[in-house]
Amino acid sequence: MPVIAIPMTGSRHNKTGYYVYCVAESAAAEQLDAASFPVAIEDDAKLEWVTAKDLAALSSTVPLDSYGEEALAEHLGDATWTAVRAMRHETVVEYVAKRASLVPLRFGTIYIERAGIERMLAEKGRELTQIIERLRGREEWGVNIYSDRATLMSSITSVSPRLRELAQQAEAASPGQSYLMQKKIDTLRVDEARFTLNRIVDEVETALREQADDASRLRILKVETTEHGELKAKFAFLVKRAGFEEFRAAAERLAQQHVDAGVRLELTGPWPAYNFTTFEQT
Amino acid sequence: MSSPFDQVIISESGGEVDEIELSLLETLDHVLNRGLVIAGEITISVADIDLVFLGLNVLLSSVETANEVLRRREATDASA
Repeated sequence: MPVIAIPMTGSRHNKTGYYVYCVAESAAAEQLDAASFPVAIEDDAKLEWVTAKDLAALSSTVPLDSYGEEALAEHLGDATWTAVRAMRHETVVEYVAKRASLVPLRFGTIYIERAGIERMLAEKGRELTQIIERLRGREEWGVNIYSDRATLMSSITSVSPRLRELAQQAEAASPGQSYLMQKKIDTLRVDEARFTLNRIVDEVETALREQADDASRLRILKVETTEHGELKAKFAFLVKRAGFEEFRAAAERLAQQHVDAGVRLELTGPWPAYNFTTFEQT
Repeated sequence: MSSPFDQVIISESGGEVDEIELSLLETLDHVLNRGLVIAGEITISVADIDLVFLGLNVLLSSVETANEVLRRREATDASA
């Protein structure tokens, strides 16, 4: 008699969780053509809206044996696995953001049951609606400020009258005195370079804030040195779609203005408004 | 001299590979560190996300890993 082996899968293994990408208005969600959605975070699952009254959360199922707390912690250590999922999350949110006002959720928002999403929409409805309203017709643009140290340092000597004067004195002085003066000059140049760079960063922030509805200075998680120099500051600006050309032109003007100081501006976007989703927690 | 101003527009189709590569870490930084955090019933604890990004940042600096991600993203786009 043949023996049929029944795999002893614990109930845990068959469990499905619900990954949530973003929240939009139900009316706008209904307008979107589900057939042309990008792939979900797990490419064999389908994206679907979970609706509660006038809000809808975009969701897809994920197996909890990969997305449960412990399993996920393990997967997150795998750069390729995580990066692929993060890019899929981003692709989905960007797709919807181009077509509707939404609240982007952070990567890794997973509900154990579908009803949990409905509860969240109901409980946080007022705040979510408030954010959707504030973000309507707007996009997030990133501005990265890079500094090329060598160019900055040489620009300092050429523009600072005090340093020029000291340099002249050092040339005329005796070798011993000249050495000491040179050390003093070096220290002053470093201070002035820092001061100048901070002033430029402030100027860029102030000027671009005027062209934006909101702005946020972001942390730099890692010191990045690129061919453009070192990343000195990162900002996110919330910009009306209709006002983007002016914003872009202002950024370009600022870049031209500070090019002699070795400053370079990088404009990235449009992003879903990841940095402008705060609301007053109750 | 090259322009002091760079504009990196993220296009839906994915754009040129160079452009995607340029924005890969920038994108991961956005997705992993930001966005609305909703407490409760969530399986990833928020505190870990920075560490995950820092780990990715180091690993993706290896060209091979970055390329693999890009290839898979292209496959994703193609099948979308």
